[in-house]
Amino acid sequence: MKLLIVDDEIEICDFLKSFFEERNYEVKAASSGQAALTAVEQFKPQVVLLDIKMPVMDGIQVLGAVKKKFPRTKVIMVTALETRDKIEECLRLGADNYITKPLSLEYLENDVREKIESLAGSNTS
Amino acid sequence: MTSYDYQEALKHAARTMVRVKNPRRLLKMIVRFIVREVNLTHASIMMYDPLKSRYIFVDSQGKLRIPVGLVKLDHGNALIDWFSHGERRLKLKRDYLVLSELSSWITDPEIVDRRAALKTCLTQLKVVMETLKAAVCVPGFYKEDLLGVLLLGHKLNGKPFSAEEISFFQTLANDASMTIKTAEYREDILAKNVELEKQKQELERRLQEIAALRKKEQETYYQIVMSLAQEVNAKDPYTAGHLKGVERLGLMTAQEMGYDLTGHKKDVLVASLHLHDVGKIGIPDHILLKPASLNDEEWKIMRQHPLKGAKILEPLTGFKEVANVVLHHHENYDGTGYPSGLRSDEIPLEARIVAVVDSFHAIISKRCYSKGKPIEAAFQELERCSGTQFDPKVVQAFIRAYKRTYANGKYKGESETRSTAA
Repeated sequence: MKLLIVDDEIEICDFLKSFFEERNYEVKAASSGQAALTAVEQFKPQVVLLDIKMPVMDGIQVLGAVKKKFPRTKVIMVTALETRDKIEECLRLGADNYITKPLSLEYLENDVREKIESLAGSNTS
Repeated sequence: MTSYDYQEALKHAARTMVRVKNPRRLLKMIVRFIVREVNLTHASIMMYDPLKSRYIFVDSQGKLRIPVGLVKLDHGNALIDWFSHGERRLKLKRDYLVLSELSSWITDPEIVDRRAALKTCLTQLKVVMETLKAAVCVPGFYKEDLLGVLLLGHKLNGKPFSAEEISFFQTLANDASMTIKTAEYREDILAKNVELEKQKQELERRLQEIAALRKKEQETYYQIVMSLAQEVNAKDPYTAGHLKGVERLGLMTAQEMGYDLTGHKKDVLVASLHLHDVGKIGIPDHILLKPASLNDEEWKIMRQHPLKGAKILEPLTGFKEVANVVLHHHENYDGTGYPSGLRSDEIPLEARIVAVVDSFHAIISKRCYSKGKPIEAAFQELERCSGTQFDPKVVQAFIRAYKRTYANGKYKGESETRSTAA
């Protein structure tokens, strides 16, 4: 269970990283768009938790790049932004879910697990 | 710090903090104080957000702090549920949760045996506390509502919390809850006051508008009535200029009688003296200006003028007393006058004054129905009718005042009115 957390707030990365590690996930964190792309290449996570609002390269650009190169990687957008336009753009670019902050940790974990299980299911078929 | 010093420090802090009225500031102070003084991995406060029915972190400090704005707890969350509905949990304490106690409950057969649901619930609670890195959770209530939760991380020195510390956290949680509620009420009341003040001002503005319109309307109407009165007098060449004379004589008499000539009462008297015959505007000219005596039918019509005058003044709300004087200025002191047959004091004083002054003026002026008479004869006429037509007190006052006023000028009343008439 490999998970990449992308957020320019280190605090959030740390908190979510320890939350998922405690639940036996293998977790890496990236605090910028560029770092996220490198991590996706090298770490090959099954799920990416992706913040939208980041300087230089934002989450939507990262989403586009990830989905282009690794279409099977599940991307869950995690963001405080919740305009309809953004949500639609993310879904159009292939985002697998869209979760707004503040979030329920229970819901987040269930969603991540679900995404990984769906990957496992499609592998066996 | 000794245990005693420590407790004193906490108490002192609590006393300082309860004076903070701004809830956000107070919460931040509490969190910072706890992290600093108690040396914890973190201290955090979660508060209820009524707009979205959820609990969110408003502040968190310490090495293991929880990012503010990231996590929310819904009503279904085990921790929220526990504090919101703790009374169902039998003998287990609802006023705070300690992680180590929670762990021992879960494995205590006395508590969880044959109560699988409770065990599940306690296990979920433990997961939530572990996730939020909390060693102690203290709820803050207002009445039965859970306003928020104070979450405390582990002590950096690894020691457990003492009962005094937990009781101190409870004090803080209670104070914070009260402060939050008080602030909410204050804001609420302030907002309502502002709204009420606005409504009041709007209402006052409208009332003023209405009053101004009314005043303007009344002023216009008053001017119309005054010009009507002048019109009436102008019709009769002998009474033209009569109004000024009547006003002067009337005021003189009233003063002689000790009538209050300041303010409103004077206005009433002056208006009455001017307007008493305004109803004559409704009397046909062939009667009003008839050079010969009137027949019965004509008198009947002529006698309607007080009533007509009162009717004309009716729409002027400030002229109720004047209208009443106008209505009764032809009443006789012995009750034989018209229109109501009032007697003595039943007749308004102003009306009794108008009656005397108006008659005197008529006597000394050449009117179409009688020749003008010298002043001495006019006095005799007034005295002759004193007690029947006129109020004797008014007649006496009138003659006294007239004689004193014109003592040196041989009663110039007649010539004066004549000159103004010309």
